[in-house]
Amino acid sequence: MSKSKLLAATLPAILISTAALAAGETIAVFTKNQTNPYFQTVRIGAEVAAKSLGAKVVHYIPTKPDSIPEQLSQVEDVIVKKPSAIVFVPVDYKAMVPGVEQINDAKIPIVNVTDRSAGGKFLAFVGADDYSLGLETARFLLKSIGGKGNVVILEGVKGSLTNIDRVRGFNDAIKEAKEVKLLASQPANYQRLQGLQVMENLMQSHPQIDGVLAANDAMAIGAIEALDGANRKAKVVGINGTQEAVDAIKSGKLLASGDYNGFLQGCIGTMVAIRSLRNEPTVTEVVLKPTVVNASNYQPYDSPLESRSCPSWSEAAAMASK
Amino acid sequence: MSLASDAAARPSGFHVSREVQQLAYRLLAVALLCAALSFATEAFFTANNILNVLRQASLLFFLASGLTLVILTGGLDLSVGANIGLSACFAATVIKATGSPALGTLAGLATGLAIGICNGLMVAKLRIPSFIATYGMLWVLHGITYYYMAGETIHGFPPGFRQIGSGYFLGVPIPVYLMLVFLLAGTIFAQRTIWGQQIYAIGANPVAARLTGIPVDRRLILVYAFSGAMAGVASIVFLARLNSAEGDIGEAMTLPAIAAALIGGASLFGGVGSVFGTFIGALILTLVLNGMNLLAVNANWQPLVTGLIVILAVWLDMVGRRRT
Repeated sequence: MSKSKLLAATLPAILISTAALAAGETIAVFTKNQTNPYFQTVRIGAEVAAKSLGAKVVHYIPTKPDSIPEQLSQVEDVIVKKPSAIVFVPVDYKAMVPGVEQINDAKIPIVNVTDRSAGGKFLAFVGADDYSLGLETARFLLKSIGGKGNVVILEGVKGSLTNIDRVRGFNDAIKEAKEVKLLASQPANYQRLQGLQVMENLMQSHPQIDGVLAANDAMAIGAIEALDGANRKAKVVGINGTQEAVDAIKSGKLLASGDYNGFLQGCIGTMVAIRSLRNEPTVTEVVLKPTVVNASNYQPYDSPLESRSCPSWSEAAAMASK
Repeated sequence: MSLASDAAARPSGFHVSREVQQLAYRLLAVALLCAALSFATEAFFTANNILNVLRQASLLFFLASGLTLVILTGGLDLSVGANIGLSACFAATVIKATGSPALGTLAGLATGLAIGICNGLMVAKLRIPSFIATYGMLWVLHGITYYYMAGETIHGFPPGFRQIGSGYFLGVPIPVYLMLVFLLAGTIFAQRTIWGQQIYAIGANPVAARLTGIPVDRRLILVYAFSGAMAGVASIVFLARLNSAEGDIGEAMTLPAIAAALIGGASLFGGVGSVFGTFIGALILTLVLNGMNLLAVNANWQPLVTGLIVILAVWLDMVGRRRT
């Protein structure tokens, strides 16, 4: 009784002493927009990591999605406010270089997450690689249709870095499968409605489609609606591992979704920033291996993000590129 | 002669012969497009694909038909895409919370209408230029929607509700019937009622309209309210078709909706255009996408082709007008 009371009384003290180094740092987290669920996973990852290390997170998100001028003005704002460190997803990997250089000049340590900046000095880069994400997700689908049949690709926004790499990965996987025929590769701009409409159109000219490779989950779900509407069956894969995709995998509508591990990226990026502030050893490059979420491994993804926990530092360090 | 004075000098929609001539030009453009596509791919001219195109055009038409009345008064409504996003998210929330698609539909329509009325009040009573008022509204709506949804989606609705978007009646998709209803109602309203003619008159010459005793403010509030309500309609059909709501669903639809009205012969100077013309405009834009998908046009070229066809369509229209 008294023992437990004693423990209860001293527990805060113990916690405080272990968090002696937790100076309550403020980490400014820059993401691209409020609309894409992916960035929400990055933000929650950052929050979970900061909370576990006793630091605070402040978010900077352009009100106009992916706006370069707006992120630049947010950079200027943050230089005035001087947070302890910055976790940075550039809205454009080239256009934001001057902004990064301003942060470098202001001597605020900065970690680059998700989209690799074309310039500037960073403590580390934490990301996943879109090419292998596309490649592994496509391989999974092609294996599932028995390495033969007709497939179509739904591309994202033309010219965006993510799209170029994912579609290149799709195409390389298709080249490996000699008996698979690529019927069409058409843009649906990462939009759900366009995914549905482009799929409807493709079904008009192609009576037999066995597989659909979509460069994100929204288009994949749109394509599934189109297939359902026409009473046709095809295996569909998407990319991002969104909650909606996990639900569709559970109900057997979606075959798989390549996960970019945004939550992990937010975790590790923030951990690197905080560890370097506390002069603890860190890493300089973490490129995560893609996870193809499917019926056999979706369970960990089927929980609210807030309740997930970040990996331990040793686990995170093990993911670092050698 | 400047475009503005040219538009103002034109009589306002009372000349049936001119109207018919204008529409004949547009129908010809659609026929040419269809003929070309029929030759290019055998998948195009099938009952299945025609219904497919009509169903795809319906969403764009709902949005663009409401916008057409706003454009007729010489205004613009840039908030329709953001309106779809918020209306759909509210409708989805209500369906999930109450299990009643009817209540959800009502919530979506009411949200769209309320947004439209706010736009109308800003334009008519506060005299804020419509471009600015509705552009400001767009950001207000985005702000509310993004905060409310926090990057999440709401998905999975009752099968009965989903019929609105994906069901058929006598082999024809339900949204196509809805489109025909609004096409008829909108055309009769604009061409055959006093209110409709007053809307044309306001766009042709707002000062003269006020002097002749037309209740300009009330008619302005009416057209913006209608535009908002039509965005509400689009949001419900969208929800029922896609079985899912997310904050940015309407984002890519505002400009195509404006383009559909302009391709359909509406003028941003006001007083010119028709709901039927807008229907043709929505059809042309949808046919272009359908054709490119069927022909598997290289993805890199698609934006260019779309742009050229839009410019060509309006230019042909100009040529046709100079002749009449």
